[in-house]
Amino acid sequence: MRSPQFGLIVVLLVLMTALTLAAGSHVDPQTGATVNNFLNRYTLIQMATDASAFAIMGVGATLVIIAGGIDLSVGAIYALAGVAMAMVLRALGPMDPVVTVFVGLGVCVAVSLLCGLANGLMVIGLGVHPFIITLGTMWILRGVAFVVSRAESILVPTALTAVAKAPLGLGAALYPVPLLSMLAVTAAGGIYLSRTVAGRHIFAVGGNPEASRFSGLSVPRITLGVFVLSGLAAGAAAFLGAAFYGSATSSDANGYELYVVASAVVGGASLKGGKGSALSAMLGAVLIVTMRQAIRTLHLDQNYEWIIIGTAMIIAVVLDQRGTKLLAGRFARTG
Amino acid sequence: MHPHRASLSLTRTVAGVATALVASSTLVACGGSGSADASKTFTIAMIAKSSTNPVFLSGRQGAEAAAAELTKETGVTVRIDWLTPPNEDGAVQAQRIAEAANSGANAILLSSSDASKVRGAVDEAVARGVPVMTFDSDVPDSKRFSFYGGDDVKMGNQVMDELATQMGGRGRVAILAGNQNALNLQARVRGVREAAAKYPGITIVDAFYHAETPQDAAAEVLRIKNAYPDLQGFAMIGGWALFTRTLLTDLDPKKIKIVSVDALPAELPYVESGLAPVLFAQPTYNWGYVSVKTIFDHVYRKQEVPAHVQMDLVRVSKDNLGEWARQLQAWGFTDVDPKYLALPK
Repeated sequence: MRSPQFGLIVVLLVLMTALTLAAGSHVDPQTGATVNNFLNRYTLIQMATDASAFAIMGVGATLVIIAGGIDLSVGAIYALAGVAMAMVLRALGPMDPVVTVFVGLGVCVAVSLLCGLANGLMVIGLGVHPFIITLGTMWILRGVAFVVSRAESILVPTALTAVAKAPLGLGAALYPVPLLSMLAVTAAGGIYLSRTVAGRHIFAVGGNPEASRFSGLSVPRITLGVFVLSGLAAGAAAFLGAAFYGSATSSDANGYELYVVASAVVGGASLKGGKGSALSAMLGAVLIVTMRQAIRTLHLDQNYEWIIIGTAMIIAVVLDQRGTKLLAGRFARTG
Repeated sequence: MHPHRASLSLTRTVAGVATALVASSTLVACGGSGSADASKTFTIAMIAKSSTNPVFLSGRQGAEAAAAELTKETGVTVRIDWLTPPNEDGAVQAQRIAEAANSGANAILLSSSDASKVRGAVDEAVARGVPVMTFDSDVPDSKRFSFYGGDDVKMGNQVMDELATQMGGRGRVAILAGNQNALNLQARVRGVREAAAKYPGITIVDAFYHAETPQDAAAEVLRIKNAYPDLQGFAMIGGWALFTRTLLTDLDPKKIKIVSVDALPAELPYVESGLAPVLFAQPTYNWGYVSVKTIFDHVYRKQEVPAHVQMDLVRVSKDNLGEWARQLQAWGFTDVDPKYLALPK
């Protein structure tokens, strides 16, 4: 059977081939070699870096979407976790680099876990749709980040940047850590969803919550779990982002929640729940970043970015719905 | 989830996206730039703070005008690659700096939204042989070779000194301060506070930060006015709020005075009405025009250029409104009200 991601991979390959052919070339000022404007190691690593935040948060958000919910607060969790980490590290002062990294990571994990927990508890306890709850927490958490940081851009210790920008033998200005982190989170998400009982329960809850309840699944516990994991993914992205760029502010990741949801949806997740995968979310993020890169590489007016991404997302969802209806009809006829 | 259903559905989804993407990439490839001859083309990637802020659009016009002049003068095709993000985001700017270096830009012209976020990217671009110049908002302690801009503290001083004069040295003043992360704006706020300290009758109620869009800024002004009904002056360190018309009707020029940085066409009615009797114009067109010429001199012609190219503000009042309007028109602004153009010298 053909992999569900096969089509996405084909699209990416076709798009990248077209870009390579249309991109033109330039002379590298350092080596004097002629370099393709798109197909070069710097651009590919940069694209992976750009996609990493969307993909890491996208994997977490996909869990929520599969369970039939939505998490609009991931960008705000990212901002609050990053700001909290930077403030704590600034308050603690110089420390051993390894300790600094672990403290920073610990703060991001703790803050994002609490945020995810708050989202989950409110969704369960208040019985309000996750869209409303996470829309509210999106503003609350970004507001908290703004107030506590006084909107300052807070530098993080260089020990963190040394980790996020470790060249790992690739050479100057090539930083594979965001790429590797994205792949690691995607692999973890994929294994969790497809190889664990807890992962299969998420599909069950998203596909049919009533049937799941009658079959003995604890829907509230599963709902709480997906929001916590989504928060943690945002925290991981925040750690990576603040470490990579060297600072954190309350305006970080502003609007990223829409890219994250777009990544999941373009990757095939259904907002009705019960459908999606971690790998598809990552590929969706890479596809969005590739579309953005295409605009740059082809020297198009970059203001078309939103139009192209919006159009692609609508086409994807409409065709997805029609395909699902068609299949439902076929199953009904054969069943 | 049924595996066959997932597979077929997703394949259809992806086929649709593929169709759109391949069609769009084919379209753009047909009209795309194609391969550039590096010996005859000099590309400057221009990354301002926000493509929705009119001051940066005028900077872009200046950059393109300078590029056209240099192309005509030297035979080298000077091209401006506009990579400004739609919204202010230091991380996105850092990404775009890397993209510019990756795609073979000969130089980068940057106004930083957040110096701490872009410093690493600037230094890496320079290390990879792509010189960087900044304008408007600098990246201090980076490896950029030059900065074109004013002394921001002095700009803040000028705004407050002028406002104090307009208010007769007495009253409560709010500072409209834009993005709190931008170093240049922080310096202007310091300048306003520093100058205000010289006037015992002037009280600064606070500095108010907001998204740098005209509507957000105007809304902030109205919120401040409602919160401080006895306010008599606004020291605006950027002209965002005056790009709208709403304050012309919502504020009374007899009760309140505004002195602002920037004097673009949309702001001129505020001078005429007396609500903003004085505007300090940044020659924003020159952000692009002077910077592109400086970059070309330094990078292509290998000439020495100063590390700080000074930009002075132009004082705009009713006395020189016509002259300034004509200057804006000469810089390519098409939206200057003809009634200001017709004013005598």
